[in-house]
Amino acid sequence: MAGMTSSSSATDALSVADLGKSFGAVQALKDVTLSFRYGEVTALLGENGAGKSTLIRLCSGEHQPTTGKVAIDGQVRELPNPLAATALGIAVVHQEPQLVSAMTIAENIFLARLGGNAAVAAHRPGALAREARALLAEISLSGAFADLSMKCAGLSAAERQLVEIARALAAKPKVLFLDEPNSSLTRRETDRLFGIVRLLREQSVAVVLVSHRLGEVYEISDRVIVMRDGSKVGEGTVGDLPKTQAIRLMAGDRLVEQTARDEAAAREIDPKAVPVLRVRGASGIAFSDVDIDIHAGEIVGMAGLVGSGRTEIVRGVLGADPLYSGSIELNGDPVRFRTLRDAVKHGISFISEERRTSVFYGHDIGFNLTSNVLGRFGRLGFFSQRRRMRFAQERADRVGVKAESVATPIRALSGGNQQKVLLARALASNPSLLILDEPTRGVDVRTKAEMYALIRNLAHVEGLAVWFISSEMDEILHLADRVMVVREGRIVDNIAKGPQAAQVVASALGEKAEDAVAFFGRQERGEAH
Amino acid sequence: MSVAGVRNLPFLKGQELGLAAVVIVLSIAFSFFNPHFLTTDNFRNILVAVAVVGIMAIGQCFVIIAKEIDLSVGSVMGLSGLCGAYAMSAGLHPALGVLVALAVGAGCGLISGLIVVYGKVNSFIVTLGMLSVARGLTYVLSGGLPILIDPRVMFIGQGEVLGIPVQVLIFFGLVVLGQIVLKRSVLGQRVVAVGDNDEAARLSGIPMNSTRLAVFVFSGLAAAVAGLVYTAQVSVAEAQAGTGLELDVIAAVVIGGASLSGGRGSIIGAMLGAYLLGALRNAFILLELSPFLQQMSVGLVIVLAALFDQFRQGAFQHSVLAIRLRRLFGR
Repeated sequence: MAGMTSSSSATDALSVADLGKSFGAVQALKDVTLSFRYGEVTALLGENGAGKSTLIRLCSGEHQPTTGKVAIDGQVRELPNPLAATALGIAVVHQEPQLVSAMTIAENIFLARLGGNAAVAAHRPGALAREARALLAEISLSGAFADLSMKCAGLSAAERQLVEIARALAAKPKVLFLDEPNSSLTRRETDRLFGIVRLLREQSVAVVLVSHRLGEVYEISDRVIVMRDGSKVGEGTVGDLPKTQAIRLMAGDRLVEQTARDEAAAREIDPKAVPVLRVRGASGIAFSDVDIDIHAGEIVGMAGLVGSGRTEIVRGVLGADPLYSGSIELNGDPVRFRTLRDAVKHGISFISEERRTSVFYGHDIGFNLTSNVLGRFGRLGFFSQRRRMRFAQERADRVGVKAESVATPIRALSGGNQQKVLLARALASNPSLLILDEPTRGVDVRTKAEMYALIRNLAHVEGLAVWFISSEMDEILHLADRVMVVREGRIVDNIAKGPQAAQVVASALGEKAEDAVAFFGRQERGEAH
Repeated sequence: MSVAGVRNLPFLKGQELGLAAVVIVLSIAFSFFNPHFLTTDNFRNILVAVAVVGIMAIGQCFVIIAKEIDLSVGSVMGLSGLCGAYAMSAGLHPALGVLVALAVGAGCGLISGLIVVYGKVNSFIVTLGMLSVARGLTYVLSGGLPILIDPRVMFIGQGEVLGIPVQVLIFFGLVVLGQIVLKRSVLGQRVVAVGDNDEAARLSGIPMNSTRLAVFVFSGLAAAVAGLVYTAQVSVAEAQAGTGLELDVIAAVVIGGASLSGGRGSIIGAMLGAYLLGALRNAFILLELSPFLQQMSVGLVIVLAALFDQFRQGAFQHSVLAIRLRRLFGR
């Protein structure tokens, strides 16, 4: 308690002392002491499983600490549930927006009133929309939504995020936690988000930002706190704790071995060879006249803003959405997929951008990894559990899933490890074409590097054709051998990796061209070593 | 075999063991009040009494794991039993009569399934409709009069093999078959995957439509088998056979640890659930307690089982009460 009083000054909005949390035998958080101050943006950095989310859950009443105390305005408080935390001025914007799709934007923004008001209070949609408009104007978002009485079901990921943020701000919080708010946003959308954050800082709200995109984090933050394995390992202003040092702190000693791993060089692609996937003149929902060639051993990155039609192109080709016209050839054979299952049967694996729609949360790693290939472990529709688990273990080890065994429930894994399991599942059927939509969203730096190395090996050594979508410039430039840029449903650029590609991608994603060129130079030097 | 090895067997999981323990403890407790309760004869009586519900619970278990529900089982049981008897009374060979009954059950399941899958109507509504339609059809076909069945099929409900009643053998056989299909067949795991996260199942290329159709056909088939067993047991096919049994069937599955939110459940559990319900009914008769109390206790057991399941899933470990209690005991 002595530590608590000395650390809390007048400017501390929220402070925690010796905070710890264990889930069974796993200690997710160990004796963390830190504080978030009014009028400051604090970045909370760390890999998946470092304890950031646990810390947020303890501060917002979602979980109860095993040890330690949480103090708000210097006063120790118990937060038995999220409602109590909200009442004390703590708001959280979750990574996955939690919206009621059947309600309007305005209703979602003021959803908390459903809990606060008496059940008999009148529901006045018009007044609610007016208030919502006023609130959005306050955070200079008045132009974000044309119609606040629209249902949330049709909103894009970025728009849902904005609704979630507006909802958090409706409660006029003192402390705002943003958990990976920009992981699904493009550069332009991120800038809009950061505009809101700056505004909040001026209004002396304590903002806590969790993100894996360090470049963006450093633009906006005043102070940085780095966590690793449930402990705080570093803290300082952005000046005292530069990006490189933060990365080193996040990864610990393990980064060294990671960078030492040599990666397979890109293959020479013979443009005359029959491509694994050839699409000609494809048109569908939100895209038209798309031509694509992807060869064996090639990694093709598709860059484009959310809403540019990039996901729709993939869905159209895979048969998840209807294709109005055009032809598709797979290894030279004309095909037309009516359902996703058709595409899977033809040797295409697909990982969707939202992990929540891909993981069987009630089951273990083995179940998740083998769900597509059970027929292989037996005959006549029955299978051997032993062979299944052995296969799962082997594949999980190959992609480097960190878990005791494949009988571990998938819920117990961090996001990055879950993503690895999904990758292993996609590879289990030995596909000839792997399609990844935002393959490393919400995945920490180290896991990202591991997955890049893995994907590159699969393509360049084993000859898999890889097609991925990303809105992260770094990812496109780092991973792709060839880059396609999508704008307004058309492929407007299709060029090989190189400085020119960097500029094109940068302009497509609305990033600064200098950054791209600098990035490319860095990468070239890295490869020269 | 190590402890972990035993746990990996398809038939022994904590949840089933726990339920089995409850059954055993209750049986011993009842035997203090009436020593007759724990006799082989009574055990056999209970099993004979629960076979019909138990057989339907096997099919229902698949449906519930796939995150659907089949309310029509009682009616389909009545309809298929009656159709079988009708076909035999019209001069068909008993074996063909049995096939007719099975076909009617599977057909009803298929129709429900097709409407659920292709009409995209909630299965609660579809099977609620089927419950009424099948029952109505049963009355239309029979004209409300019972139909005597061919004596050659009566052994299904009245015969014995090695001293074990045939319907109990059928019940156990189907339990073993069902558990193997659920845990060790591709189809069974597809059912689990569809129930756990249908979007993930679709994205990974699992045939959603045929999987969901299959569970309804399973349920219809199980209802038909139950209908045959029941008809053979009472020697006549009555129009009202199976009325209201759907609730017992769903209760048995839920007591057995299946989750109505899909993805989780066990055939062995459903069997134990059915047995527990039967044992309670039996005990109330042997202990000469009011039948109204019996109905209440059955209801309590259903809700307690669901509550206990939530507890086992860790739903309350973060609740304020749990935390206060832990603090109280210095943890």
